[in-house]
Amino acid sequence: MAYLVHLAVFISTTSILAVGLNLVVGYTGLLSVTHAAFYGIGAYTAAIFMTSLGVNFFLALLIAVVLTAICALLIGFVLSKFKGDYFALGSFGFNIIVYSIFLNAQGLTRGPLGIPGIPRPEIFGFVFKSNISYLILCVVFLIIVYFVAKWVVNSSFGRVLKAIREDEEAIRVFGYNTLYYKLAIFVIAAAMAAIAGSLYASYITFIDPSSFVLFESIFMVAVIILGGLANIKGSMLGALILVLLPELLRFVGFPTEIAAQMRVAVYGLILILLMMYRPQGLIGEYKL
Amino acid sequence: MEILPQLILNSVIAGSIYALLALGFNLIFGTVKFFDLGYGALTTVGGYVVFWFGKKLGLPTIPSVIIGVLVAGVLGFIIYKLVYQKLRERRASSMILLVASLGVLTLVQAIIAMIFSSQFQTLSRSAGTRHLFHIGTGVITDVQVIIFASSIIIMVGLGLLLKFTTLGKAIRAIGDDEEVSKVVGINTTKIIGYVFFIGSAIAGLAGILVGFDTGIEPVMGLNLLLKGVIAAIIGGVGNVYGGVAGAFLLGFVENFGIWKIAAEWKDAIAFGVLILFLLFKPNGLFGRK
Repeated sequence: MAYLVHLAVFISTTSILAVGLNLVVGYTGLLSVTHAAFYGIGAYTAAIFMTSLGVNFFLALLIAVVLTAICALLIGFVLSKFKGDYFALGSFGFNIIVYSIFLNAQGLTRGPLGIPGIPRPEIFGFVFKSNISYLILCVVFLIIVYFVAKWVVNSSFGRVLKAIREDEEAIRVFGYNTLYYKLAIFVIAAAMAAIAGSLYASYITFIDPSSFVLFESIFMVAVIILGGLANIKGSMLGALILVLLPELLRFVGFPTEIAAQMRVAVYGLILILLMMYRPQGLIGEYKL
Repeated sequence: MEILPQLILNSVIAGSIYALLALGFNLIFGTVKFFDLGYGALTTVGGYVVFWFGKKLGLPTIPSVIIGVLVAGVLGFIIYKLVYQKLRERRASSMILLVASLGVLTLVQAIIAMIFSSQFQTLSRSAGTRHLFHIGTGVITDVQVIIFASSIIIMVGLGLLLKFTTLGKAIRAIGDDEEVSKVVGINTTKIIGYVFFIGSAIAGLAGILVGFDTGIEPVMGLNLLLKGVIAAIIGGVGNVYGGVAGAFLLGFVENFGIWKIAAEWKDAIAFGVLILFLLFKPNGLFGRK
């Protein structure tokens, strides 16, 4: 049971990440492979504020969201100059740069040692100590993120995003400033990643740079493509499947190191097979 | 200024490795027009095949290197046949090909890590008995001399191949316009297969040389790939010689960068350069248009 709750927490945080990323990749058509960077910036901000300054989790989360949003605005501004494949490569670059900062700015992040002893959230004297209560907290955040995403895609704003994806030149002719729209959605997605990052940091109570490597961004791309691009429920489905799948490998009884690599191999294979046989994913509404 | 000759030598060696990577990458990109990220995995394959034959089975160095290069080339060809060719026949967008190649990279690296563990290994048998060459106050190892020589040989060889042979002309024709090449009777599928073989073999060689110079680990594929891609973009993507210029530029910027900043920032410097180029000179130094 405890194990299932643990997995459910990961499914919720991964869903939050995936829903955000899908807004950028699925709805706006920008193949961003840097989501782990925002996830990490969120996690580190929350962790640093909670451990060194003793800030309450919910305030730290808010600071993390704002700070990540500012970073995303700057990164998004640079990336908005690129199209298609070049956007993807540029986004790779930011993931690597942000990762190097986590690893090397040791005064701030303690580098490879990571930040231990991150407290669990506390509100009005109630501490989310048990994993069940933590799961409820994560699900509440997931529901908020889900409805925000729904609202975004169903609004006129969301329709402009889809139009950018289909034909950016055409929508620009109609007088829309596409840069503004692309930046806005990039920032919203990053803010959602920051929420997931703060939740992750406080749940595990320890973070180090290895959770935010480029591979994690690739994993998130696999999640949303498997679930289906431009489908918010699809992202949650993708998160469910790809978090549970490697756990099955563990039950089959492979040694830990082999199982860890097998997880990576499975994600790679899924990406290849999806691209070859079902680029729209399970319930997607858009193909790359 | 004591350190200056060494910095220049380091830059040239790094540049030679990146040049090899960029040569193969550009050859493939120039022909099929998509970013083949799976290319990175073939550097790892080359390195580990030599590790297997040379260190585990005790084969002499030269034959194991030849086997390593061939295996990388053949595997690149097989991946093209199994994945990319099918996708291209279906006219998949370059983004789909990019994601598929990302899958190839992840899959191949993970398989190698499963077989050989993710530990760092070195290819050279007897560390310490290396020949050292002194140039001014700088020092260079025999492996590094070979690295420099190979990159020059491959660059000239590839240049001659593209310019003077029928195969080379066909490759350039496909790069210019695949449809028209097909119409005038070039067997494009076959030629692209050769391109993948040659490009992947070059990747394998680069991986092997890195293995002899420093060492190999499964994740090196991604790192080397990214350096190759950066060099290719700086030089002008798809332009074989531009990639070489970009590679040496990258080697110099990285090594002179860490003269003043700590060495851990090397990757960040490389990507900083990439982003600056993408912003201000997206077609690179020698890009067309």
